[in-house]
Amino acid sequence: MTGAGIIAAAVIGIPFLLWVVNLVRQDRLYAGYGVIFVFGTIVTMAVLVIPPLLNMVTELSLAILPVPSLSLIAIVILTLLVVYVFIQISVLSNRVMRLTQELAIRNARSERGVEPGAPGPR
Amino acid sequence: MSMSTAPRHRTLVAIPAYNEAATIRNVVERVRENLPDSDLVVVNDGSRDSTAAILDGTGATVIAHLCNLGYGRAIQTAVLYAERAGYDRLVTLDADGQHDPAQVRALLAEFDTGRWDVLIGSRYVVSGRYDGVPFGRRVGMKLFSSMVRLMAGRRVYDTTSGLKVIGRQTFTSLTKWQFIDFHAEALVYLMRLGYRVGEFPITVEERRYGTTMYSALSHIKYPLKTALMVVLGVVEASLTRRRPS
Repeated sequence: MTGAGIIAAAVIGIPFLLWVVNLVRQDRLYAGYGVIFVFGTIVTMAVLVIPPLLNMVTELSLAILPVPSLSLIAIVILTLLVVYVFIQISVLSNRVMRLTQELAIRNARSERGVEPGAPGPR
Repeated sequence: MSMSTAPRHRTLVAIPAYNEAATIRNVVERVRENLPDSDLVVVNDGSRDSTAAILDGTGATVIAHLCNLGYGRAIQTAVLYAERAGYDRLVTLDADGQHDPAQVRALLAEFDTGRWDVLIGSRYVVSGRYDGVPFGRRVGMKLFSSMVRLMAGRRVYDTTSGLKVIGRQTFTSLTKWQFIDFHAEALVYLMRLGYRVGEFPITVEERRYGTTMYSALSHIKYPLKTALMVVLGVVEASLTRRRPS
């Protein structure tokens, strides 16, 4: 990569890293998700800036040129990220549903004068 | 009060309701009138109309979801409630007034023969045909009926009926896994677990108020989701049977 390219990667990558780290610090991004972005950004910047790494990635992805190889890797990473996000949304959605059900049942039972966790009269 | 010497079963009637202000009072009153020996709960599934206020005036036990979780989850909440409160059987019926609570007595009598773990109030079991059903819906009903036969080895004509009697032996299974609408996917899951699912003829009235819970988009999404869940129901039932209890 040219000197200008390295500067461009740093100008985009470093503020992005700082933004993500700050989000984690402010508790607006869960640390587990922050790690993915921090790690992904560092690896991407390293691959872009260090030519032997870029060549190795190109060979490993069976591409002829670095550009399609990087595009392919970006698509795979984005797809995995999207699936991961949907999994997390589903997990949270299920938790909210369970909580809503539990709360509704407990309220109904306490209004009827039954201890929420206890079985009803037989 | 029944004068029968047979052991009395504790029955819970559950009505899942979402924006059913126009009909819910009437349905609650008809259930009380026709099934005085049963307890009644209404699962208010996050209604945005005056359903909650109307229910307050009826004195019915209300299980109120803080937000709309969907029909399947509303039924599952009723099952959880019935399980915890030690009921022997759960009757579900729709809040739109299409089901006549007077027919539930016959359904319960059939259930009490002990031949079934789940008994469905079926609109089509007598004729075996879907007369009067709009074309698109008819195709869907035939498809899911065939799918249940293929996956569970037994035909169920009315997989989408909201009128069911559910025995307590199935409660735990029904709260362990997720269902979309407690339709074909739940039936296949239960049948593959070895529960006996039957149909009993009923008639339904035309819906006079409110709208169907299915939007235009869900006419495409529903069959695809249900088909996927039917297949997963078979897998889940197989895995459940293999797990040590």
